[in-house]
Order: sequence, then structure tokens, then C-alpha cells
Amino acid sequence: MKNSLKKQLESAFKNTQIHVPENDRLIINVEKDRVISILKFLKEKGYEHLALVSCVDWIEEKEFEVVYILSAYLQNESEYTEREKINIIVKTRIPRDAPRFVTVIPIFQNSEPYEREIHELFGIHFEGHPRQTPLFLERDYKIPPFRKDFDTRQYVKEVFDTIPIIEDRASEK
Amino acid sequence: MDRNKLVKWLKEPAKMGHKYSLHAVYFCTGCGIIEVPPSITARWDAERFGVIPVATPRQANLFLITGYVSVKTLKAIIRTYEQMPEPKFTVGFGSCPINGGMYWDSYNTIKHLDKYIPVDGWIAGCMPRPEAIFVAVTHLWTLIDKEMANGYKKYRAKYRYYRANQEKVLGTLEWPPLFSIEGKDEELVKETA
Amino acid sequence: MVMRIVEIVVSPIIAFVIGIFLLGLSRKIMARIHWRYGPPITQPVIDIIKLFNQTSMSHGRLFNLGIILSLAGSMVVVLFLPIGKLHPLSGSGGLLVILYLMLFGPLGIALSGGEAANPNTSIGISRTLVLALGYELPLILILLAVMSHYRSISIVEIVRAQQETHWSLLSFPLVVPGIAYLLILPAILGERPFELIKAPQEISSGPMVEYGGKYLALATIQHAFSSFISIALFVNLFLGGSSNPGFFIMKVIVVFVVEVLINAVFPRLRIEQAIRYLWRWPALIAFAGLILVYIFKR
Repeated sequence: MKNSLKKQLESAFKNTQIHVPENDRLIINVEKDRVISILKFLKEKGYEHLALVSCVDWIEEKEFEVVYILSAYLQNESEYTEREKINIIVKTRIPRDAPRFVTVIPIFQNSEPYEREIHELFGIHFEGHPRQTPLFLERDYKIPPFRKDFDTRQYVKEVFDTIPIIEDRASEK
Repeated sequence: MDRNKLVKWLKEPAKMGHKYSLHAVYFCTGCGIIEVPPSITARWDAERFGVIPVATPRQANLFLITGYVSVKTLKAIIRTYEQMPEPKFTVGFGSCPINGGMYWDSYNTIKHLDKYIPVDGWIAGCMPRPEAIFVAVTHLWTLIDKEMANGYKKYRAKYRYYRANQEKVLGTLEWPPLFSIEGKDEELVKETA
Repeated sequence: MVMRIVEIVVSPIIAFVIGIFLLGLSRKIMARIHWRYGPPITQPVIDIIKLFNQTSMSHGRLFNLGIILSLAGSMVVVLFLPIGKLHPLSGSGGLLVILYLMLFGPLGIALSGGEAANPNTSIGISRTLVLALGYELPLILILLAVMSHYRSISIVEIVRAQQETHWSLLSFPLVVPGIAYLLILPAILGERPFELIKAPQEISSGPMVEYGGKYLALATIQHAFSSFISIALFVNLFLGGSSNPGFFIMKVIVVFVVEVLINAVFPRLRIEQAIRYLWRWPALIAFAGLILVYIFKR
């Protein structure tokens, strides 16, 4: 089954690397322009569940890698005769200096909170996303906290350790 | 009950009332949410100490902060603490409210809870067992007897410093100050109004 | 005249002591059913002492007025119920007055809850008033049946008639309204399965969510009084409340223990399920009892 899917993908999209590491995974590396079309193709094939949208910071190569993990809900058609579900992982790379990307909300509506989280924690701007406001964090950070050049110990020393305890402040006056 | 206790009840009923009926507001922060229900249910029974959970801070006496406190949770904790009627007692569980615990170098948790709301006692552990909760309750009884559980009075006297610290972490606060922040610095008053 | 004033003062005090004892007993029995030790029996007294020594926050004049109204209503009903030989005001009005004044309890709490600006109180108030509507229908039919059977509205005469013959619960046409009263007794008390009013896990204690120090103490005292009056009414009408106050208290405690045992094992019903239950079987049984009383008195 996977072989037929792999063959279909290779015939539809030339010049992509498709890679089968284990029995129930399929990894596809595409350029960022073809992400939307490959996700639409996979959704029509029955992989309707977008499990996760995630991001990796490759700081030496100066790129961000956006990762989409898809899987199928039920397998009751003729093509899907095996019992286990497979996970399809779609990866793209975007440059780190001007991180902008397109949102996949028109295809998978549930990617809105994932993209909001990535915007808040990595700093990538998704065009077409209706609500890119902070989700978890309350303070402002100069560098988005999940990037690898954010020094958390330095941040804690600057912000949290400089707040005085109450007895000290009282004796200042 | 023996004569000593009866005499204590007749002399200072208010203090004995505060000791033996501590209503805890059922606000479970972080990791300690897993240790609070076992201590309330039948195996380690907290009701024989007079400690029952209540659903709203207006009926509560005791605030248990059971785990790490992120910046967003601190906002909710301050609002809940300010709604409770006085006299009120706070107990910090675990090592995260003491000095940051496992998250001592995290960008989003506060490290010393004592700088933002007054805390009467700490329990060490990660997480402490229900028996440790009961030892803490009996220690709190001793503190209330000696009138050393003064967190709420300290909050009232030094409110401007607490509020300044809270604003340093959270930015501008949406709620108005609870006590006045103008005027001279006052000593801890012995009797609250 | 002086005796009457003494009775008017002593009677609510006795009702308060019994009510507080019943509240403590209920917590202890429920704890023992759960296989644990519970709080001491005097725990509600400790709670009330602590609550009177706490500061509290008021929401306005109606907020203060409502809880006082509810407590006053419950206290006044006690003066109309005979406790053993004490019945200060039962010459004037009897059962009809009790039927009206019993509604002041939930109504007062609803009034003060309306002033607190909290959505939980609105849900709690609607549940309280709808539940009161639910149990008032069977209660009126039961009281009509009892009043027609004994041909008087005075509780003292009903008690005296039972002491000459036998308990109402054991005599034929009145066993049917008696069973109906037992079926709606949890709803009048506000215990499970009809614990919708307080419901701490769902609506954060319903109308009492904004009650701090002294308001909560008054609400606890009101709960003690209203538990006492519902059970004392049952004991007087159906179990022949005796002239010896010791026997009277014993009967109250027995009925209350049965109530606590039901409270310990049932979950909570929703409001529409509660109304569907209260207006179906207890109402039908009470109505059948009323018809039987009319047939058998001719």
C-alpha cells in the first residue's frame, strides 16, 4: 500500500525526496512553493487528520524547517487494507533571516493554534492567518524564546533575579 | 476534651476557630494537582483536621500553591488571593515556589513566590506526600497559636512593594490597587480593622 | 403571658441546637460510610465561630437584606411547630401559615443572590426557585389530605389526635400521603439526589458563591433551621410528635439518619429530571391519598 502511495506521489510531484525509514512512516521533503499542493493531494487521498505543525531551528544552516504530520482516520477503502495507520511527515525549509510562510488554514482548519504557537515562540509570520496574538506568554521577549540563540539563563538573571525581596525594598526608603 | 483545651476555647475562641476550621480554596497549580485529591478523599482524610475544599475564594481561609507558577498563573493567583477574606494563610508546596525548583532557568516561570504574595510556610519535596500536607497543617496551627502567621497583615502593610514587584513581572495590572499605595510607610499593625 | 414570651425565646434556641447537631451528625455519618474518620461532631460550631471572626465583603443593601430575610423566615416557622410541649404561636393559623412561611428560606437567598454580580448565582437562583416550585405541588396535596382527614388546620390538634389513636403513618388512608412526603423530603432539605442548589463542583456553590465571613455563618444557621423544620413537620404530622421532648428529638434523629443514608449513595439529578420526578410519582401518590381520604371519610 505504501508503495502505491509512494509511486503516486513520485509520479505527481517530480523532484521530491520521499523516504521510508520504518514500516509506518513516510517522510517527504519539498520546496516551500509546493507545500500547499502536496497537502491538498494527500488530503484527497484520505489523509485528513493534521496531527501537528511543528518547527525546527537549524541555526548553522540558517534555516527554519516547518514540519507537518498527517495521518488517516479510517481505513475502509480498497486502497487501505492494512490495519496500522501510517504517519506522513511533510518538511519544508524557509530562510531564517526573513521568516515568512503561508498558512494552511484553507486546507486544514485546525492548524490555526499550531501556527499561532509557532509565530509566538519562533517568530515566523504566517500570511493569511487571522489571529497571530500571544497564546501562552505574557511578557515581551526581544528574541522569540524557542530560537537557539535565546539565552535563558541570561534572561532569568536579568529579569527575575533583579526583582528585590520585600524586606530589602522596605529598607530602601 | 481535657481541661486545657476547654480553657483555651473559652479564652480565645477566635484563634481556635481559625485553627480547627481551615477551608482551602480548590485551586491547584502545576504538579501538585495530583497530591490534593488523595489527601481529601477517604484514605488520607483531611476532613478530620477540619480542612475541606471549597469552590470559591470568598468562603476560603487557606491557599495552597502546589507547584510551579508560570507568569499567567501568577495573575490568577493574585486575583484569587485578593478576593479571600482576612485572616488568610498561604502555604507553598514543593520546591518550585521556594526557589524555582526544576524550572530555575525557565523564561516563563517565577522563581520566588515570596516576592509577589506573602507566604506563611513552605513544604519541601517534589511533590510532598499527603502526610507532609498534614504535618504542614499542624505546624500552621502552632504558628496561628503564637500569632506568627502574619502574611495577610504584611500584605496590607507593605502593599506598595508587593504591587511594584507584581507590575515588574506582569506589566500594568488591570485591577485597581487593593489597599492604598500612597502615603507613608507603615509598621505592621497589630490589630486589623 | 410571661410563659409565652419565655417559650418564644426558648423554642428557636432549642431548634438551633438540634439543627447544628444534625448538621454535624450528617458529616460524621457520611464520613463513616466512606470508611474514614470524619470531623468532630461539633465541627459546624467551629465553622460558625470562625466565620463570625472573618471580614466579609458586601455587595449592597439587598445583599444584606436577603440573607436576613431568609434566616428570619426560617426562625419564625419554628414558633409555629410544636416541639414536645412547646408551641408558642400554634393557635393562630397552623398549617396554612407554615406553608407560606416555609418558602421564605429559598426566597431570601435568591433575593440576595440576585444582587451579587456573578453568573453562578443566577444559575443557582433559578435552580432554587424551580426546585421550590417542584416540591410545593406535592406538599400542598399532602397537607390538604392531612387537614381533611383530621378536619382541622391546627397542628396541635393533629398531634393530640395521633396520641390518642395511633401514628398517622400506620393508619390506612394517611399512609399514602406519608409515603409521598418521604419521597419529597430530600428535595425540601436540599440533600442528594436533589443537591442542585449548592452543587460545589458544578456552579461553585450556587447562590452562596459570594458569601464571605458573617454571611456564610448566617447561611449555615439558616440551613440548620430549615433542616430542622422540614423533619419536625414530618414527625408532627405523621409520626405523632410526642409530648415528651426526649422522644421527639429521638424521632427527629431517626428520620434524619435515614435521610443521610440516602444522601450518601445518590448522585445529583439535573433540574429537569428533578421536576419530572417530583411532579410525577410523589404528586400522583399524594393525589391518590387525597382522593382516598375523601372516600373513606364519608
